[in-house]
Order: sequence, then C-alpha cells, then structure tokens
Amino acid sequence: MSQPLTQILASAAFVLAAAWLAHRQRLGLSRSLLTAAGRAAVQLAIVGALIALVFRVPALAIAFVAVMVLTASLTAGSRMRALPGARRIALGAIALPALGATGVLLAVGAFAATPRATIPTAGILIGGAMLATTLTGRRLVEDLIAGVDEIEARLSLGDRARDALVPLTRRAIAGALVPLIDQTRSAGLVTLPGTFVGLVLGGASPETAARIQLTVLLTLLLVQLLSALLTAELVTRAATLPGERVLVVTSPAGRRLR
Amino acid sequence: MTATRSDLSGLAVHGLAVAHGERVVLRDVSFAVPKGAITALVGPSGAGKSTLLRCLNRLLVPQAGTVALDGEDAAALEPCTLRRRVGLVGQTPVMLSGSVRENLAYALADGVPKPAGLTRALADAGLDATFLDRPAAELSGGERARVALARALTRKPELLLLDEPTAALDAAASEHIAATLRSLAHAGLGVVVATHDLPFAATVADRVVALRDGTAVTGKPDDLLSVSSQSRAADPPDATGPAEPPP
Repeated sequence: MSQPLTQILASAAFVLAAAWLAHRQRLGLSRSLLTAAGRAAVQLAIVGALIALVFRVPALAIAFVAVMVLTASLTAGSRMRALPGARRIALGAIALPALGATGVLLAVGAFAATPRATIPTAGILIGGAMLATTLTGRRLVEDLIAGVDEIEARLSLGDRARDALVPLTRRAIAGALVPLIDQTRSAGLVTLPGTFVGLVLGGASPETAARIQLTVLLTLLLVQLLSALLTAELVTRAATLPGERVLVVTSPAGRRLR
Repeated sequence: MTATRSDLSGLAVHGLAVAHGERVVLRDVSFAVPKGAITALVGPSGAGKSTLLRCLNRLLVPQAGTVALDGEDAAALEPCTLRRRVGLVGQTPVMLSGSVRENLAYALADGVPKPAGLTRALADAGLDATFLDRPAAELSGGERARVALARALTRKPELLLLDEPTAALDAAASEHIAATLRSLAHAGLGVVVATHDLPFAATVADRVVALRDGTAVTGKPDDLLSVSSQSRAADPPDATGPAEPPP
C-alpha cells in the first residue's frame, strides 16, 4: 500500500474512532467531529490544488494572501461585532503587522521571495495576527460589557475616555499574548511546533527545521504584539464617543449609544 | 430651600428628555439643584433616577433639554472639567486596583497623595486612617461605598451626585453618611442623592425631586415624602403642583 493512501486511511480511522468514542460516551459530538474532519479534508484538498496552481503562476500568490487576510479579518471581526466597524478593525490589526513582517523577512532575504516560501510564511503570520486580534477584541468587548461601572467611575473622577479604557486594553493585550509566550517558552520541550514538524516530515534536516521554526516564532512575538496593540487602539477609538464618553455595549452582539 | 431665577449657583435642569430606543425614560424634566443644600431624587425602581444623575455630569447626553452649571450650559464645558466639578458616586462602589490610599490618590488632579487630605476625606466618609493601607479589593460592601464617597470628595467637587448611597450600609452607617452630607452641604457643597430609601431621604434632604412616569415634581420633603412613603412608590401628590422651573 502506498504511503499517501496509508496516511489517508490512518487519519480516517482515527477520526472514526473519535466519533465512535464520542457516541459511546453520549457526548453529542460525533456529528461535529465527522463534519469538522470532512470540512478539513475538502478545504485542504482545495487549498492544496490552489497552491499547486499558485506555484505555477506566481502572480496568483498576491491574490491568495489577500484571501487569507480577508478570511482572517472576517473571522476575528465576528468576535467583536458589537463594536462599530469590527471588520475594519480586524483587517487593520491583522494585515499591517502580518504583511509588514512578511515583507521584511522577504526583503532581508530570510526567506526566498517565491510563492513556495511567501505563502506559508504569510499564512503563519496572518494566523498568529488573527489569534491576537480575536483574543484582544473579544476580551475588550467582554470588559466593555462587564466593566461599565469601572469605566463610569473613572470618567466620573475626571478621566478622559481614552484613559478610562487603558486598564481594559492593558489586560486584553496581556491576555492575548499568553498563548504565544507559552508556546514560545515551551517550544521543543512540551510540543514540537507545526512548522518544525512539517519541515522535518517534508525532508528538511532537523537543524534547518529548528532554525526556520525559531525565525517564525520570534517574528510572531512582534506580529502578535502589534496586532494586539492595534486592536486595542482601534477598539478604543471605536468605543470613544464625543464628550469623553464611552460606548455602552450591552451584549456581545449589541450596543447602545449613550 | 429653593433656587430662584436670580440664583445661578448650582445646577439648573430644563426640559430634559431621555429615551432608550422606544422607551421614554425622562420627559420634560426641570428642576434646580442649589449649592449648600441636599436634594433627594426619589422614585420607584426604573423611574430614571440613575439616568438623570448621568445626564447631570454628561456621562449620558439627553435627547432634549439643558443642564446649566452656575448659569453656564454644561454641554459647553470641557467634559472632564465638568465631571471634576460635579462628582458622581455610582450605585456600585467600584474599587480600583491597589490600596485605599491609591484609590484616593487616583482622584487627585496631580496624583500625589497628601496624607492630611486623604485622612480628612476618609473621616468625612466615616472611615479612620487605618483604612489607608488596606487593599481596596478586600473591603466590605459598606466600606467600599464609603471609600467611593471619600474618593469623590478628594476631588473637592462643587456638587456631588450620589446614586443609592445607603444601599450597602446598615442604619448606623447610613446615619453617619447623612451627617457627613449635611456637614458638606453646610460648607457649601451641593448634593443630589438618588435613593429609594425614603426614611433616609426624609432625614437628609432639604428638598425633594420626585420622578414618576418620566416627569419630575419638586417640593419640600414633608410635602412629597409623606405621600410617597404611603404609596411606597414615591407617587407625587397632585397638590404639589407642576415642576419648579429652573433658575
């Protein structure tokens, strides 16, 4: 049996086992597990075919990266849709750091300026930026709902609206970076990061894989921090009303102007 | 003790209207808040007391009407300056992170704690100086309410708005707050107390503004609170007449 067929059969067996186990435990997750696996298979097959096409037609790489950025912006924006212009906020917070860092890495020659190097690099950085944007934005929306008394207390003491939101934005930014800081700190000890695994399985030497993984992880630290900072800044602007007032968010999906 | 048209000291509310979506909370509300007196704002739950307080320091912008501070349109004042002059202690006494001292120092314009001033503010709110170094997060509900009052007082406001200040206090603490407010008013501070605690309002207030169905009726405590306490809903009597025009 060929190795590709074995890989497909083995992974299918694992997901079927997961669905069976969930069914036996009456968790109500069997359908979700199978649906998620099916979607992943279809999406990855399409993406694989698309990337193969992009490798043959390099100009398509720009369109491919643009689609990644837009999809990430829609996903992160949906997590803070209680705010006006949530998708624009997400687009700015994801695109600027991720594409900027990709550009720097290509410009200095850290990676070859080819579709084969550009798309995975941009993809990882866009994904990291999306995670930081989502975590920061969601936490800020939650705090705008739960922290209205604290915000009004600060405003009533004479704070400017921007200053009254600073404790919220600091908490949100710090919280958003925890997963990446933990991942970076434990890289190689607790888990083998995806880039490293992919490169080794693809035939690269462990030394090369480690070097590239480190480049990606350390770049992500700045990208995610910038995304979190940009999200906080753009949310602060969106939540600040004329007259040093703050937008009252009543639920994750709703808002009321005061 | 009521303000007259020639007396521009304090707040003057005229024709205030607020709606949240389709729901009208306040309509054509007019009254005056003189300095040197305590005004009780009474009414049933949901009558719009908290909404009205927020309009007075422009945490909330009304759909119609004006609020004037010492004769000057509050909307024309720089918002942060207005809020330093018209302090508000909310219904939930929020403690900022850190000690009581840090909470009080936060309210100071330059952020530099002056021990005598902080101790005085604490004493005014019924707490002694030993509270200064206690973590604010560990205080009881009643202690938080008093620290929040002390924090507002460190700003030396000209008017002080209090939303349900006795909600977390026992009778003795409420009486202490009442005595403090009377003392502050005697020293020239204008005080507005929004409360559903009618006995407290009767004890402390020089004048009463009763909210009912979004409108306001102004009068003396004896006129309004006796009827309100009977109805348990701060229902103003017809005999008190229309709302007092602002100065």
